Amino acid sequence: MVPTVLGIIMITFLLFNLAGGDQAMKKLGKQATAKSMEEYDVQRGYDKPLLVGLWGHTRAYRSDFSINAAPWINREGAGYTNDPGRLQLAADRAFAVPLAFDLADRASYRWTLTFRNPAPSPDAASARLELRDGDSVICRVALPHSASWQEATLRFSTGKDTSALACYVVTGHDALELRSLQLHKRARHIFDSQLIFYLNQIIHFDFGRSAETNQEVSTMILGGILPSLMLTVPMFFIGIIVEVSLALVCAYFRNRFIDRFFVVLSVALMSIPYLVWIIGGQYILAYKMRLFPVWGFESVRYLVLPVTIGIVSGIGSGLRFYRTVVLDEVYKDYVRTAFAKGVGKFGVLFKHVLKNAMIPILTSVVMAIPFLYTGSLLLETFFGIPGLGNLSINGILNSDFDVVRAAVLVGASIYVIANLITDLCYTLVDPRVRLK
Amino acid sequence: MSDGNNNAEIVSRSLWADAWTRLRSSVLAMSCLAIIALFTATALYGEIVYWRYNIIDAAAPRLLIPVQKAAIVLLMANRVKGQTAPYHRQNLDRQYRRPGIVTFKQADGTVVREFHLMGTDGLGRDVAQRVVQGVRIAFQVGIITSLIAIPIAVLLGCIGGYFGGWIDDVIVWLYSTVACMPALLFILAISMIVGRGLEGVYLGIGLTTWVGLCRLIRGEVMKHKELTYVRAAKALGLGDWRIMFRHILPNVFHIIIINFSLRFPGAIETEVIMSFLGIGVQNEPSWGIMINSARFRLWYGVWWELTFTTLAIFLIVLAFNLFGDALRDALDPRLRTEGESK
Repeated sequence: MVPTVLGIIMITFLLFNLAGGDQAMKKLGKQATAKSMEEYDVQRGYDKPLLVGLWGHTRAYRSDFSINAAPWINREGAGYTNDPGRLQLAADRAFAVPLAFDLADRASYRWTLTFRNPAPSPDAASARLELRDGDSVICRVALPHSASWQEATLRFSTGKDTSALACYVVTGHDALELRSLQLHKRARHIFDSQLIFYLNQIIHFDFGRSAETNQEVSTMILGGILPSLMLTVPMFFIGIIVEVSLALVCAYFRNRFIDRFFVVLSVALMSIPYLVWIIGGQYILAYKMRLFPVWGFESVRYLVLPVTIGIVSGIGSGLRFYRTVVLDEVYKDYVRTAFAKGVGKFGVLFKHVLKNAMIPILTSVVMAIPFLYTGSLLLETFFGIPGLGNLSINGILNSDFDVVRAAVLVGASIYVIANLITDLCYTLVDPRVRLK
Repeated sequence: MSDGNNNAEIVSRSLWADAWTRLRSSVLAMSCLAIIALFTATALYGEIVYWRYNIIDAAAPRLLIPVQKAAIVLLMANRVKGQTAPYHRQNLDRQYRRPGIVTFKQADGTVVREFHLMGTDGLGRDVAQRVVQGVRIAFQVGIITSLIAIPIAVLLGCIGGYFGGWIDDVIVWLYSTVACMPALLFILAISMIVGRGLEGVYLGIGLTTWVGLCRLIRGEVMKHKELTYVRAAKALGLGDWRIMFRHILPNVFHIIIINFSLRFPGAIETEVIMSFLGIGVQNEPSWGIMINSARFRLWYGVWWELTFTTLAIFLIVLAFNLFGDALRDALDPRLRTEGESK
């Protein structure tokens, strides 16, 4: 169980933090300011390094010269060549590095740049990278003459007031060429990473805030559980009772007309797409015949139609499954014995066979519990039931990553717990199974 | 089968030939196969129509440019250059027309009579053409997701079952973890991250639906590992990979075939749901998109769009479900012995 939980955490982490890419960009759109994206990142820990490390990201300065020199566009004296992508700075000038917003106060940063002088003249003064506060230079690093590529770093910490801070690349008497220029923000310590941030969130059952509604995700999830359960619990139990009873009826009349009829019916029911059940039910029963309200969540009456649709659409596969389960039992020796000692067909089926078929039935029942939690994604959306399914679908449609991640995580965790409960329940229905 | 004359009359039949004989004797299985064949032909037709109108503008990688040129000639794409594909062709003069012969007056006063097998939709597009494109997309989704999921399942299942030990432990851990993920939600989350479009659908369904097959294959390989033919192969000094993929795999191949025919309808239905929600196919007439636009029109009495789309989904899913069952009965040796002893 523990490895599986770790696996779930790992998969969600990989999916959303590693494969997720630039979520702030996806969520806020290309028009968003760097400042607001930085806030999005900081709130969710995406500015930190991924697993371990000291240097995280910041959006104050971001460029990739191999693609373009976006922040440097229209700077006098700065030219860009692509293929290979390089930024060329003219001689004898001071270039203020274009920052998207003021740096954070009391934080540590690091500049890294790779540079060379295309035509070095050793007697001329060399270039330097400086950090200035107003007019006074706080720190600097010299960029020595070199025809080959060299790397230089400049580390600095900011004070209380960062509004006048600016970084300059001051060129010497010869032109400077940059291959890359990057700004990193220092994390608090080496383990101050996205992974630890995420684990910390999980331990505290705090899934951050939704970028869409600015509510706490954990509150949203807790609020959605009840409507979901109100929909799925009746659907689930009535469904199972109907399916198992029909399966027993099939076994009772096996290979006769009724059995064949139900088998064909169940395959046909299975093949009707779920969406059509919902649309058709809503149109015919609610709209045309006016038996139920079409949409909403106000009283029990609003739940009758979605519950019915859920049951009917599930009967096909359920009946088929339980029929196989029951038929597996029907040919066993104890059934023959029961008949031989004179138990009626009904008694054999509903007492002897049902009890023995409980093990696979129980497995399928407990395994379906997590789906009670996620509710019925589509049913909730169609009928406007404010449950978890609705929440997740809205999260997906709005690219609300925090909500979706929390829903996936909690859903998977409940599945693991349900697995455990199944194992425990085996001991209840099957005396042959003993817990060690 | 017949026990009496076992000296002269025995004709050896392979598993596949035997299965084919069994399938052929079943009317139901054969009619399902016919429906599947019909749909496959429709999908190919849809593919031809699609490429005829899109091949000229397609950005082919350098290696495929000769193929593209040949296809342009073969499909006579130059004749329809610049035209809108028939499934996108709008005509507001023929909105919401019932199936059958449609008569309408054009802006210049001429009266046009056209035949629309499944009627027209709200923008005057031919529903039949759009349903055909839906078949094309459904088949693409079914095949490509299988091409992603089945190799993963076979590879992991074979390795885990054959080598056992810690490798097996890791694989079991991996698939039980993936099995814990809430199915549809996980698929939707993956496609949300990949981005809207068919790639998201492929990856979402492909990366999540390999678990069942992997479990089956692992179990079968574990069983076969102990059988004499594998031991003989080992005694002959054959390599592990050769035994796994040349000797054991053909013996468990029927599981893959059965799994393919049963997963196909599932993939189609998931794609319909995803496209319906707007995170699947974009800008192409997928069944999900058609159902989504048709459902509001249904309230105004436009029944044909929804009905024909539903009918197409129903038929293909039903055919695959029934055929998959028949295939399982025909190919699974365990079921067969049970059936004969009764």
